[in-house]
Amino acid sequence: MRIFNRIVVILLLAGLFVLGIFGIVYSFNLFGYQLSQLPQILNLQTIYSGAQEAVSDAENGTLTDLTFFILVGVALVGLILLVLELKPRTPRLVQMQKGTYVTRNAVKTQVLNATNQSSEALDSSAKVKARRGTGAKVKLKSNVRRGENEGDARSSIKNQVSDYLGQIGIPISRIKVKTSETDPRGKGEQRVN
Amino acid sequence: MADALQLARAASEAALATDGVIRLGTGSFAEAATYGPGEKVSGVIVMPEEVQVHVVLRYPLDKPIPEAANSIRENVSPKVEGRETTVVIEDLEVSEE
Repeated sequence: MRIFNRIVVILLLAGLFVLGIFGIVYSFNLFGYQLSQLPQILNLQTIYSGAQEAVSDAENGTLTDLTFFILVGVALVGLILLVLELKPRTPRLVQMQKGTYVTRNAVKTQVLNATNQSSEALDSSAKVKARRGTGAKVKLKSNVRRGENEGDARSSIKNQVSDYLGQIGIPISRIKVKTSETDPRGKGEQRVN
Repeated sequence: MADALQLARAASEAALATDGVIRLGTGSFAEAATYGPGEKVSGVIVMPEEVQVHVVLRYPLDKPIPEAANSIRENVSPKVEGRETTVVIEDLEVSEE
Protein backbone atom coordinates (compact mmCIF):
# COMPACT_ATOMS: atom_id res chain seq x y z
CA MET A 1 0.00 0.00 0.00
CA ARG A 2 2.90 2.32 0.66
CA ILE A 3 3.79 1.94 -3.02
CA PHE A 4 0.29 3.11 -4.01
CA ASN A 5 0.56 6.09 -1.67
CA ARG A 6 4.01 6.83 -3.03
CA ILE A 7 2.65 6.81 -6.59
CA VAL A 8 -0.14 9.22 -5.53
CA VAL A 9 2.39 11.56 -3.91
CA ILE A 10 4.71 11.35 -6.96
CA LEU A 11 1.79 12.23 -9.25
CA LEU A 12 0.81 15.13 -6.99
CA LEU A 13 4.37 16.44 -6.91
CA ALA A 14 4.69 16.04 -10.68
CA GLY A 15 1.43 18.01 -11.05
CA LEU A 16 2.76 20.72 -8.74
CA PHE A 17 5.98 20.87 -10.76
CA VAL A 18 4.08 21.29 -14.03
CA LEU A 19 1.86 23.95 -12.45
CA GLY A 20 4.97 25.70 -11.15
CA ILE A 21 6.47 25.78 -14.65
CA PHE A 22 3.21 27.17 -16.06
CA GLY A 23 3.15 29.71 -13.22
CA ILE A 24 6.64 30.93 -14.05
CA VAL A 25 5.98 31.06 -17.79
CA TYR A 26 2.73 33.00 -17.38
CA SER A 27 3.92 35.26 -14.55
CA PHE A 28 6.97 36.49 -16.44
CA ASN A 29 5.20 36.76 -19.80
CA LEU A 30 7.61 34.27 -21.38
CA PHE A 31 7.10 32.99 -24.95
CA GLY A 32 4.22 35.41 -25.42
CA TYR A 33 2.07 33.91 -22.65
CA GLN A 34 0.39 36.33 -20.26
CA LEU A 35 -1.15 35.70 -16.85
CA SER A 36 -4.30 37.55 -17.86
CA GLN A 37 -4.94 34.88 -20.55
CA LEU A 38 -4.80 32.01 -18.07
CA PRO A 39 -8.46 32.06 -16.88
CA GLN A 40 -9.62 31.84 -20.50
CA ILE A 41 -7.17 29.08 -21.48
CA LEU A 42 -7.99 26.96 -18.46
CA ASN A 43 -11.69 27.75 -18.78
CA LEU A 44 -11.70 28.78 -15.13
CA GLN A 45 -15.05 30.55 -15.40
CA THR A 46 -16.86 27.23 -15.88
CA ILE A 47 -14.94 25.67 -13.00
CA TYR A 48 -15.73 28.65 -10.75
CA SER A 49 -19.43 28.53 -11.57
CA GLY A 50 -19.52 24.73 -11.10
CA ALA A 51 -17.80 25.01 -7.72
CA GLN A 52 -20.07 27.88 -6.72
CA GLU A 53 -23.11 25.84 -7.67
CA ALA A 54 -21.87 22.79 -5.71
CA VAL A 55 -21.18 24.91 -2.62
CA SER A 56 -24.57 26.61 -2.75
CA ASP A 57 -26.23 23.21 -3.28
CA ALA A 58 -24.38 21.91 -0.22
CA GLU A 59 -25.45 24.97 1.80
CA ASN A 60 -29.06 24.53 0.77
CA GLY A 61 -28.92 20.78 1.32
CA THR A 62 -29.82 20.11 -2.29
CA LEU A 63 -26.77 18.11 -3.42
CA THR A 64 -27.45 15.72 -6.26
CA ASP A 65 -27.15 12.02 -5.45
CA LEU A 66 -24.14 11.73 -7.73
CA THR A 67 -22.26 14.57 -5.97
CA PHE A 68 -23.18 13.12 -2.59
CA PHE A 69 -21.85 9.66 -3.50
CA ILE A 70 -18.69 11.13 -5.03
CA LEU A 71 -18.00 13.10 -1.82
CA VAL A 72 -18.65 10.04 0.36
CA GLY A 73 -16.43 7.96 -1.96
CA VAL A 74 -13.59 10.48 -1.76
CA ALA A 75 -13.87 10.57 2.04
CA LEU A 76 -13.86 6.76 2.25
CA VAL A 77 -10.87 6.39 -0.07
CA GLY A 78 -9.01 9.00 1.97
CA LEU A 79 -9.85 7.18 5.20
CA ILE A 80 -8.77 3.80 3.79
CA LEU A 81 -5.47 5.22 2.51
CA LEU A 82 -4.84 6.90 5.86
CA VAL A 83 -5.49 3.70 7.83
CA LEU A 84 -3.29 1.65 5.48
CA GLU A 85 -0.50 4.20 5.78
CA LEU A 86 -0.72 4.24 9.58
CA LYS A 87 -0.87 0.45 9.88
CA PRO A 88 2.52 -0.94 10.88
CA ARG A 89 4.35 -2.64 8.04
CA THR A 90 4.38 -6.43 7.93
CA PRO A 91 7.90 -7.59 8.78
CA ARG A 92 9.99 -8.96 5.92
CA LEU A 93 11.70 -11.62 8.01
CA VAL A 94 10.06 -14.34 10.06
CA GLN A 95 11.07 -14.10 13.70
CA MET A 96 11.85 -17.49 15.23
CA GLN A 97 12.88 -16.30 18.68
CA LYS A 98 14.47 -13.16 20.08
CA GLY A 99 17.42 -12.29 17.85
CA THR A 100 16.86 -15.09 15.33
CA TYR A 101 15.14 -14.58 12.00
CA VAL A 102 14.61 -16.62 8.88
CA THR A 103 13.78 -15.29 5.43
CA ARG A 104 10.31 -15.93 4.01
CA ASN A 105 11.92 -17.56 1.02
CA ALA A 106 13.71 -20.09 3.23
CA VAL A 107 10.41 -20.87 5.00
CA LYS A 108 8.68 -21.25 1.65
CA THR A 109 11.34 -23.67 0.43
CA GLN A 110 10.94 -25.78 3.57
CA VAL A 111 7.14 -25.75 3.27
CA LEU A 112 7.46 -27.05 -0.29
CA ASN A 113 10.02 -29.64 0.87
CA ALA A 114 7.46 -30.83 3.41
CA THR A 115 4.66 -31.08 0.85
CA ASN A 116 6.97 -32.98 -1.52
CA GLN A 117 7.28 -35.63 1.20
CA SER A 118 3.50 -35.94 1.41
CA SER A 119 2.00 -38.69 -0.71
CA GLU A 120 -1.22 -36.70 -1.22
CA ALA A 121 0.22 -33.54 -2.78
CA LEU A 122 1.25 -33.93 -6.42
CA ASP A 123 2.65 -30.43 -6.64
CA SER A 124 2.24 -27.33 -4.55
CA SER A 125 2.82 -23.62 -4.35
CA ALA A 126 3.13 -21.60 -1.16
CA LYS A 127 2.93 -18.02 0.06
CA VAL A 128 4.57 -17.07 3.35
CA LYS A 129 3.89 -13.94 5.39
CA ALA A 130 5.84 -12.95 8.46
CA ARG A 131 3.83 -12.12 11.57
CA ARG A 132 4.62 -9.10 13.73
CA GLY A 133 5.43 -11.46 16.59
CA THR A 134 7.12 -14.79 16.13
CA GLY A 135 6.17 -17.22 13.39
CA ALA A 136 4.77 -17.10 9.90
CA LYS A 137 1.46 -17.50 8.14
CA VAL A 138 1.50 -20.01 5.32
CA LYS A 139 -0.96 -20.31 2.44
CA LEU A 140 -0.50 -23.50 0.52
CA LYS A 141 -2.11 -24.62 -2.74
CA SER A 142 -1.71 -28.27 -3.57
CA ASN A 143 -2.88 -30.45 -6.40
CA VAL A 144 -4.23 -33.81 -5.33
CA ARG A 145 -5.28 -36.83 -7.36
CA ARG A 146 -8.76 -36.80 -8.80
CA GLY A 147 -11.17 -38.84 -6.71
CA GLU A 148 -9.17 -38.49 -3.52
CA ASN A 149 -10.93 -37.28 -0.38
CA GLU A 150 -9.86 -33.64 -0.38
CA GLY A 151 -10.65 -33.03 3.29
CA ASP A 152 -8.39 -35.89 4.34
CA ALA A 153 -5.70 -34.77 1.89
CA ARG A 154 -5.83 -31.21 3.24
CA SER A 155 -5.46 -32.29 6.86
CA SER A 156 -2.73 -34.79 5.97
CA ILE A 157 -0.75 -32.11 4.05
CA LYS A 158 -1.29 -29.63 6.88
CA ASN A 159 -0.04 -32.13 9.48
CA GLN A 160 2.92 -33.04 7.31
CA VAL A 161 3.93 -29.39 6.93
CA SER A 162 3.48 -28.47 10.60
CA ASP A 163 5.33 -31.60 11.79
CA TYR A 164 8.22 -30.99 9.41
CA LEU A 165 8.54 -27.30 10.23
CA GLY A 166 8.24 -28.14 13.94
CA GLN A 167 11.13 -30.59 13.59
CA ILE A 168 13.42 -28.05 12.01
CA GLY A 169 12.26 -25.35 14.43
CA ILE A 170 10.37 -22.89 12.21
CA PRO A 171 7.38 -21.54 14.16
CA ILE A 172 4.18 -21.37 12.11
CA SER A 173 1.16 -19.53 13.45
CA ARG A 174 -1.33 -20.59 10.78
CA ILE A 175 -1.36 -22.88 7.78
CA LYS A 176 -4.13 -22.63 5.20
CA VAL A 177 -4.24 -25.44 2.68
CA LYS A 178 -6.25 -25.29 -0.54
CA THR A 179 -6.47 -28.32 -2.71
CA SER A 180 -7.55 -28.82 -6.27
CA GLU A 181 -8.11 -32.06 -8.07
CA THR A 182 -5.90 -32.89 -10.96
CA ASP A 183 -5.23 -35.83 -13.19
CA PRO A 184 -1.63 -36.93 -12.66
CA ARG A 185 -1.54 -38.10 -16.27
CA GLY A 186 -1.47 -34.49 -17.37
CA LYS A 187 -5.02 -33.16 -17.70
CA GLY A 188 -5.51 -29.78 -16.02
CA GLU A 189 -7.05 -29.12 -12.65
CA GLN A 190 -10.79 -29.40 -12.24
CA ARG A 191 -12.02 -27.91 -9.04
CA VAL A 192 -10.63 -25.76 -6.26
CA ASN A 193 -11.82 -26.20 -2.68
CA MET B 1 38.37 -0.55 20.34
CA ALA B 2 38.20 -2.35 16.98
CA ASP B 3 36.64 -0.61 14.00
CA ALA B 4 33.51 -1.87 12.28
CA LEU B 5 35.42 -3.69 9.57
CA GLN B 6 37.60 -5.58 12.05
CA LEU B 7 34.52 -6.54 14.06
CA ALA B 8 32.75 -7.67 10.90
CA ARG B 9 35.74 -9.82 9.89
CA ALA B 10 35.91 -11.40 13.36
CA ALA B 11 32.15 -12.04 13.38
CA SER B 12 32.30 -13.49 9.87
CA GLU B 13 35.12 -15.91 10.81
CA ALA B 14 33.31 -16.95 13.99
CA ALA B 15 30.06 -17.59 12.14
CA LEU B 16 31.77 -19.58 9.40
CA ALA B 17 33.54 -21.69 12.04
CA THR B 18 30.16 -22.80 13.45
CA ASP B 19 28.98 -26.29 12.57
CA GLY B 20 26.25 -26.29 9.96
CA VAL B 21 27.10 -22.92 8.40
CA ILE B 22 27.92 -23.34 4.70
CA ARG B 23 28.52 -19.69 3.91
CA LEU B 24 27.43 -16.21 4.84
CA GLY B 25 24.37 -14.76 3.14
CA THR B 26 24.34 -11.60 1.08
CA GLY B 27 20.99 -10.20 2.19
CA SER B 28 17.68 -10.68 0.47
CA PHE B 29 16.25 -7.13 0.31
CA ALA B 30 19.41 -5.09 0.49
CA GLU B 31 23.02 -6.17 0.52
CA ALA B 32 24.06 -7.36 3.98
CA ALA B 33 27.63 -6.13 4.37
CA THR B 34 29.93 -3.87 6.33
CA TYR B 35 31.84 -1.40 4.23
CA GLY B 36 35.26 0.08 4.80
CA PRO B 37 37.79 1.91 2.65
CA GLY B 38 38.35 -0.30 -0.38
CA GLU B 39 36.89 -3.35 1.32
CA LYS B 40 33.63 -4.87 2.40
CA VAL B 41 32.70 -7.84 4.55
CA SER B 42 29.62 -9.58 3.15
CA GLY B 43 27.09 -11.25 5.42
CA VAL B 44 27.73 -9.14 8.52
CA ILE B 45 26.24 -5.76 9.37
CA VAL B 46 27.87 -3.95 12.26
CA MET B 47 25.67 -1.35 13.93
CA PRO B 48 26.35 0.69 17.08
CA GLU B 49 24.29 -1.61 19.32
CA GLU B 50 23.86 -4.70 17.20
CA VAL B 51 25.63 -7.05 14.84
CA GLN B 52 23.55 -8.86 12.25
CA VAL B 53 24.96 -12.09 10.86
CA HIS B 54 23.35 -13.50 7.70
CA VAL B 55 24.02 -17.20 7.18
CA VAL B 56 23.14 -20.08 4.91
CA LEU B 57 22.84 -23.39 6.75
CA ARG B 58 23.67 -26.86 5.52
CA TYR B 59 20.70 -29.08 4.65
CA PRO B 60 19.84 -31.62 5.99
CA LEU B 61 20.23 -29.88 9.31
CA ASP B 62 22.33 -31.38 12.10
CA LYS B 63 20.05 -29.71 14.65
CA PRO B 64 16.93 -27.54 14.59
CA ILE B 65 17.40 -24.02 13.25
CA PRO B 66 16.98 -22.23 16.63
CA GLU B 67 19.75 -24.39 18.13
CA ALA B 68 22.01 -23.72 15.14
CA ALA B 69 21.30 -20.00 15.53
CA ASN B 70 22.18 -20.17 19.23
CA SER B 71 25.50 -21.85 18.39
CA ILE B 72 26.28 -19.11 15.88
CA ARG B 73 25.38 -16.47 18.47
CA GLU B 74 27.58 -18.15 21.09
CA ASN B 75 30.53 -18.08 18.69
CA VAL B 76 29.97 -14.56 17.41
CA SER B 77 29.01 -12.73 20.64
CA PRO B 78 32.49 -12.73 22.24
CA LYS B 79 33.91 -11.09 19.10
CA VAL B 80 31.56 -8.12 18.83
CA GLU B 81 32.40 -6.11 21.94
CA GLY B 82 29.09 -6.44 23.77
CA ARG B 83 26.83 -5.71 20.82
CA GLU B 84 23.66 -7.76 20.53
CA THR B 85 23.97 -10.53 17.94
CA THR B 86 21.08 -11.08 15.55
CA VAL B 87 21.18 -14.18 13.38
CA VAL B 88 19.33 -14.20 10.06
CA ILE B 89 18.95 -17.57 8.35
CA GLU B 90 18.81 -16.71 4.68
CA ASP B 91 18.57 -20.16 3.24
CA LEU B 92 19.16 -23.85 3.73
CA GLU B 93 21.34 -25.41 1.05
CA VAL B 94 22.18 -28.99 0.27
CA SER B 95 25.90 -29.28 0.79
CA GLU B 96 27.93 -30.73 -2.11
CA GLU B 97 30.52 -32.17 0.29
